[in-house]
Amino acid sequence: MDHDYPALAEVDLVRLAQKGGLAAFEELVARHRDKIYARAYSMMRNEDEALDLSQDAWIKGWRRLVQFQGDSSFVTWMTRIVINLCLDQLRKQKRQRTESIEAFEEDGGGVERQMPVVTPNPTEGLERAELRQRIDRALAQLSHEHRTVLVLHEFEELEYKEIAKRMKCSIGTVMSRLFYARRRMASLLAGLKRENLE
Amino acid sequence: MKHELELKVQAWLDGEMSDHEASRIADWVARDAEAGVLAAELGTVRKAMVSNELIAPLPETREFHWSKIERQIQREALTLDRPPVSWLARWRRLLIPLGGVTALACVLTLTVKQMHRPAFDEISATGQGMEAVTFHDQSAEMTVVWLQDSSQTSGTTQPAKISVPDESHSDFDTE
Repeated sequence: MDHDYPALAEVDLVRLAQKGGLAAFEELVARHRDKIYARAYSMMRNEDEALDLSQDAWIKGWRRLVQFQGDSSFVTWMTRIVINLCLDQLRKQKRQRTESIEAFEEDGGGVERQMPVVTPNPTEGLERAELRQRIDRALAQLSHEHRTVLVLHEFEELEYKEIAKRMKCSIGTVMSRLFYARRRMASLLAGLKRENLE
Repeated sequence: MKHELELKVQAWLDGEMSDHEASRIADWVARDAEAGVLAAELGTVRKAMVSNELIAPLPETREFHWSKIERQIQREALTLDRPPVSWLARWRRLLIPLGGVTALACVLTLTVKQMHRPAFDEISATGQGMEAVTFHDQSAEMTVVWLQDSSQTSGTTQPAKISVPDESHSDFDTE
């Protein structure tokens, strides 16, 4: 039976794909490929790695599609898959890094502990597009741990408990990482604002 | 300010506190200037980031991206369709190389033995009433053979000693 896939609702596409319909799955990939790639890129900050991981996520999604019960939206379900793959990859990379200065700084709070509080709002009066650019540039300068916790909390809107479970660490570590990540972001955004004014 | 208190201010902003504790922290933030400034900074970052993610576009066309995914899915489907390998075939896979290695080891052992064989053939020449004791000295590269006539009494035994250098037939030394 022929279907007009682009016209179908997501729930119907998922149902067809669960029955083995590759064309329906292709349409799902087409609809959400940017979001899945963007999440991988925001965590890895590397185009090749993000491409590989987003592709792996789609393949894993296809394999596990029968397990999708529709408790969340399909794209949320797929986003969780790509996040888990990215976290696994980051853990692998961390194991390969020995005696990381980054990890040392993170545990003790590093420079963020000593930073003065940024009082004028560094994002005030910015156009949305400009604000997004600045946030992206600031995120690129964070450590993997700080960036991941910010992405999961601010963009994915996950609770501390859920982040701790995914990052395989304690809630205390999540709170601490989030605190230092935000302080560093405030400082970076203020720095970017000063650069612009000069 | 203690780090524990800083984390409490953050948890209060993120709505990760019980109602009772949240109102306690809210009061404290309103009274304490330092806590208020910190709360403002953390809140600003939080507010700025929510719904302001820059979405990096996929640097591939729809067709190319899908073709890679489709290829992988089809490859996996082919693997799953393949019939399972029987235990006999699995054993055969293991035994064939193992047999090859064993045969090679046998050939090598025989070749090495052949190379270290003495240049003369072993002679068994003990006749009736004769006893022979052979001693081989590896360092001197010499084989000593004691021949004894057992029919004679032990007190009058006159053993004959023949020393044979390993690599030579000619150097016989008879006593």
